[in-house]
Amino acid sequence: MEASSIDIVVFAPLAPILGVLLFWFIQLLFIESEKYLLSKIRPNHEPFCKFTNFLGIFFQTVCHALGYTVTKSGVSNFDISVDYGKVSPKKEKKGVFEWISNVFLFIGPFFIPAFILLVCLFFLMTKGFEIVNSSQLLVIKYTFGEQISTFGASLLSFSNGFLDFLLNIDLLHPAHFGFLLLMIFLGMGIRPSYIGKEKKEKVDMLYDLKNIKTLILNKPIYLIILFTIAYIFFYVSFWLEQNWYVSFFIILGWLSIISIVSILIADTILILIRTTDELTGRWKVIPYITIPTSYIFARVFFFYIPTDFTKPVSILILILSTITVTYFLLKRKSNKFKTKQDIKKIKKKKKGGKDG
Amino acid sequence: MDEDELLNGEKVEKILSPHPLSFMRFQSLSMFLIIWGIVAGWLINFSEWNTIFSNNEWLSVLVWGLVLLLAGIIASILTIRWSIFFLYLGVFAGGVALMLSQGWLGASGIFIPFYMVSISIIGFLFVEAYRRSHRYIISNQRISFKGGIVTKRERTLRYDKIADIDARQGIMGQIFGFGTIIPISQSGFGLGSDKSLAAGGIQLGEKKVGFFGLFGGGKEVQTPRARSYYELHGVFPYKEVKKLVEEMVQGNVITPYQKEQVAFQKEQVDIQKQMRDLLKMQSDSKVDQKGEEGSEE
Repeated sequence: MEASSIDIVVFAPLAPILGVLLFWFIQLLFIESEKYLLSKIRPNHEPFCKFTNFLGIFFQTVCHALGYTVTKSGVSNFDISVDYGKVSPKKEKKGVFEWISNVFLFIGPFFIPAFILLVCLFFLMTKGFEIVNSSQLLVIKYTFGEQISTFGASLLSFSNGFLDFLLNIDLLHPAHFGFLLLMIFLGMGIRPSYIGKEKKEKVDMLYDLKNIKTLILNKPIYLIILFTIAYIFFYVSFWLEQNWYVSFFIILGWLSIISIVSILIADTILILIRTTDELTGRWKVIPYITIPTSYIFARVFFFYIPTDFTKPVSILILILSTITVTYFLLKRKSNKFKTKQDIKKIKKKKKGGKDG
Repeated sequence: MDEDELLNGEKVEKILSPHPLSFMRFQSLSMFLIIWGIVAGWLINFSEWNTIFSNNEWLSVLVWGLVLLLAGIIASILTIRWSIFFLYLGVFAGGVALMLSQGWLGASGIFIPFYMVSISIIGFLFVEAYRRSHRYIISNQRISFKGGIVTKRERTLRYDKIADIDARQGIMGQIFGFGTIIPISQSGFGLGSDKSLAAGGIQLGEKKVGFFGLFGGGKEVQTPRARSYYELHGVFPYKEVKKLVEEMVQGNVITPYQKEQVAFQKEQVDIQKQMRDLLKMQSDSKVDQKGEEGSEE
């Protein structure tokens, strides 16, 4: 099927933009889930929540400072604390410069932590970074459908590579272990969980979207300029027969995927914390001890009986043993999974003991 | 504080000790030893470069020592505390001496991680013992600071002698709610100084012209600084303690309003004294007059 010229000229440049927006929206939803879990564990883990909040504020402040640096406004004051971050410019610049620094402030925190992880991944991941190779370029037609297919195919390839890396991660390798730690930390700080000493202001997904909407509506001309630049970039890529345009958005898509996976891992840890809160005393430490113990035990076992799937099976053993130990502890040491009959039995037993 | 150490009418308000995480700068030195020990063990035994180390037993010791000393130099420069470098040098020298004396050079891949972890455990225990040696007693009359593992040090500061209060809370302190409060006495106890020095060197050509210059410029800045046993180091809950100390200082130090009141009262007393003297003079003169009149009669 031949591509129509209106498709190439008008719709094709929109394809990767829409793709990135979709992934970014999914990222926002995942951030909401993380915030929900943090709010649930906050009463028992105030320092931990303060720490995650600090990470979020740190990235936000760095992005704001980066915005002032890029716009050549300069940074005169950089103040950061656990619940507050402030950056003041040297020169107050208005217009497009102010708009760009605000874009950095609102959108930067969603991508900067993921960018740090992407840089680390370049050194650790062996496959998945293919964008579009030259043989594919010959068949690419610059239509909406083809653009979105290229975008999707590259993201799929990256997701496969990333998943493969995570499943085969060697936790006894210092670089892999360090990457996982970094991923958890950055995943928890992709966005501040609360702002201010007390949770007065509601800072959620709608708050972020409202900010971005205000940013767009206040200066619609800048958005038009941004779209114009995007279209020019697309036409230049089309003219030179290079897929630079879609490649740029593919990198943004990678960043979203990294963020989503980081948040998912951070969420898993938050769920574990929330679950172990049901336990009392020293029992709540057992699931955390199970994590390294089970993994080391599995690795030692597979050291003497080698298999092709040593690393993924060890990860699987780690996950399953942690879940099993937590489940049994919850069943034995809390009322979490106790039925009415179980409770009646315990009461009877206690009564019998007293009577006896 | 023992009963016999209390002064007349003295009441203890709070007994404090530093927060377990307040000595993180010392604990991080031990933490680095653990991390580098494990990484060095992995590098020598399991990494893709392990064959290089297995061919030359001294190479692993050299790499281990170089990284350790480099970290010591960096930490010393950043904190302006050369004791860190000498500490790491001691750890390295001790390890090498042990390896040579016991003939464990060939087993450096096993020795290094075990040695480093053992040393860091000792380090953690030492820091913990040092932390536990601190005791700060806030009473209604003074603050007593006690600390030291072998040599016991003590400082007592009366509230009316406190000229200034410096308080600081790092990121860890903000997260866990602890902070450091330095009461500066009128004599300047609790103040330290920062000095800066500039040095530069230049070499022209290949050994033909050489010039090296050391340009020293002293700049001293007075800054609140004291040993952990002379300040309220890493106390928890920070805000509550800070408020308590400030209230105590406020209660024991005369305020400008109170000063005005005292001056006013002094003025009143002077006036009353003058009036008394005047009245006395008047009554004396009346008595004299009466006496004169009586003698005339």
